[in-house]
Amino acid sequence: MMKRSLSVLATVGAAALLLAGCSGSSSPAADGPAEITFWHGYTEADGKVLDQIVADFNASQQKYKITTETKTWAVIDDTLLPALSSKEGPQIVAMPAERMPVYADRGAFTDLSDFYASSDSNTADLVPQAVDMVTVGGTPYGVPTGFVPLAMFYNKTLFASAGITEAPTTWDEWVADAKKLTVDENGDGTPEQYGVAIPDHATVANGLWPSLLLSGGGQIVDGDKAAIDSPENAKTIQYWTDAITKDKISPTGLDGIAADQLFSSGKAAMHVGGPWMASIAKDNNIDYGIAALPAGPAEQAASAIGVAMGVTESADDAQRAGAEAFFTYFFQKDVATKWSLASGWPPLRTDIPLSDVSSNPVVAALSEIAPTGRALLPGVVNSTDVISDIDELTQKSVAGGNVSELLSTAQSKIQQAIE
Amino acid sequence: MTTHAPSAPPRRRGAYRPPAPIGGRGPLRHSPRHRLTVVAFLAPAIVILTVFVAWPMVSALRLSFTDASGFGREKFVGLENYTRVFTDPDIVSAMGNTALYAVLFTPIAIALALAFALLLNNPLLPLRGVFRTALFTPFIVSLAVAAFAWSYLLDPQIGLLNYWLRSLGIQLGNVLQDPTLAMPAVVLVAVWKSFGFYMVIFLAGLQDIPTSLYEAARVDGASAWQRFRSITFPMLGNTMGFVVIVALIAALQAFDQIYVMTGGGPYGTTQTIVMEIYQSGFRKLELGFASALSYVLLLITLVLSLTQFLFFSRREKDAA
Repeated sequence: MMKRSLSVLATVGAAALLLAGCSGSSSPAADGPAEITFWHGYTEADGKVLDQIVADFNASQQKYKITTETKTWAVIDDTLLPALSSKEGPQIVAMPAERMPVYADRGAFTDLSDFYASSDSNTADLVPQAVDMVTVGGTPYGVPTGFVPLAMFYNKTLFASAGITEAPTTWDEWVADAKKLTVDENGDGTPEQYGVAIPDHATVANGLWPSLLLSGGGQIVDGDKAAIDSPENAKTIQYWTDAITKDKISPTGLDGIAADQLFSSGKAAMHVGGPWMASIAKDNNIDYGIAALPAGPAEQAASAIGVAMGVTESADDAQRAGAEAFFTYFFQKDVATKWSLASGWPPLRTDIPLSDVSSNPVVAALSEIAPTGRALLPGVVNSTDVISDIDELTQKSVAGGNVSELLSTAQSKIQQAIE
Repeated sequence: MTTHAPSAPPRRRGAYRPPAPIGGRGPLRHSPRHRLTVVAFLAPAIVILTVFVAWPMVSALRLSFTDASGFGREKFVGLENYTRVFTDPDIVSAMGNTALYAVLFTPIAIALALAFALLLNNPLLPLRGVFRTALFTPFIVSLAVAAFAWSYLLDPQIGLLNYWLRSLGIQLGNVLQDPTLAMPAVVLVAVWKSFGFYMVIFLAGLQDIPTSLYEAARVDGASAWQRFRSITFPMLGNTMGFVVIVALIAALQAFDQIYVMTGGGPYGTTQTIVMEIYQSGFRKLELGFASALSYVLLLITLVLSLTQFLFFSRREKDAA
């Protein structure tokens, strides 16, 4: 009898514990500082510096205590929805800036208009394009933690052996240099070394082809209208399709990661990438240089890689105030400079002079080309589908599709995606 | 040639009979204390199934009639999500891709599994255990890990497979970005990983076939093909039914290697229904639509499984 009662008790107890484990977390302590959880995806040395900045902020005041949790960007994207919907989510989240509009549109982030309007928020001198990336329908839902235009990385050793002394500055120079650097030693039609690695889909931060389209004078979206089907874009797509397929300056079918590998293995002389390519090139003993993306017929523009942080809807008033206090601290001139040097990304404030970041040559080089940066699909909620439509357009074009037909299809699909 | 299953021996007085159920002859005679014990033993499983299976299913069914994003704001939209499932060209295309995947994967995996099971069931084959283990090993490898490995093998620039084939004068090209070859490539990886598991099930089925049938067939002069067609294949009916259903369900749920190897590309040619569910739910934050799509997939799976179940049951009945 006793044994049975104990087994029943144990079972019911286990079930109760199981159910308790599924319930929400404990609420913040009534006394003491407001507890704030901050998810970010800075997993390298930059993460340690960010954690130190947070620790410094915690030490600078008594009202708020922020605890950071480091995850990869992909894990943040996959777990934020279940975390917030089960009331277990963080109060501050950093994520790739182009992902923020869809979360904001669904109500995951709070409106930061009042924070931006405040004169002591240290946001007046932020790079405007960086703020555009997290603005939806005129409302800012985040603050930038990184904004850098795509840059061209080139292999100085391969340049020297081809007799090239300067990085190209225009598209024609770019293609001419790439032809010189493309080597097919055994003449089998498949070069052993390519002049440049140009992915035709899933490009770095999805920004390579948007950069080319912008430099060619075209657009992807104009306000709430698709603008991909234009004569400028047709010329741009045809120009680069011919360079890839006829001049064979780049392999076809590359994605962004494969392009990184091609450059880091010394099989491509030029590559369009982000700041991390500097350390990848260094690790692979490649003597590299950094230059702005060469100018197209219309302008010199490069789609930017953006990272931003926002306050989630799970934050109460005190936590929200704490998050905004942290943002203000983060954008202090000395902290912003420290963050720029540690992260390897250009300063987020336009009033920080180049001389302040010259101690890090990568930051200095990227800061010089910062004015070429353009926000990728600013404020577009369904960027996932738009990017996938651009990928389809470029992949099919490189595979031999009719450019004007592809543009027409992309136009209707993008229009459908943004409606 | 005719074969007969061995008839059951006549029942004698005092022969073995299975024991009566514990606690009496029927549930009506259970004492309250006994019932409590039964409930206590079942409770953990019931709680786990309720919390992790039944409740999410009910919750997803409710969500499928809303425009939920997961962040609290949701409104009832009736059958709008279900209508979209059958009218959105991307979803219709994903259904076609899933059907193609299933049509390629199911017969190839089953044929290979059966062929190797027949081969490895031969007691004269040396090192049978080693071969069985080797062919089963891919099944215990995570599909995502296998997919990464295959991606490297198939890489046009640094892939070993391309390198070896090139030295033989064969240009494989960029398989995973080729709209014609990408689907066969992701199917190949799934077949490589799964057929060892189906092979083990077939081996168990083969070992249940009485050897006396083969001996009788040999005496009658039946060839190997006749023995397979008239004994092995019919006697594997139940096993085949089980393997076909399991393989088809696995095919309809194709996701891991596609996510890793092609991401659904090139331009949607390997985009399956589960990829669409993932992207709708976790990329576009359209939980309501993703739930509706999940339910449509559940219904498709259910209908196909039931059809096959009925087909194999009827075949077995006819054979009897």
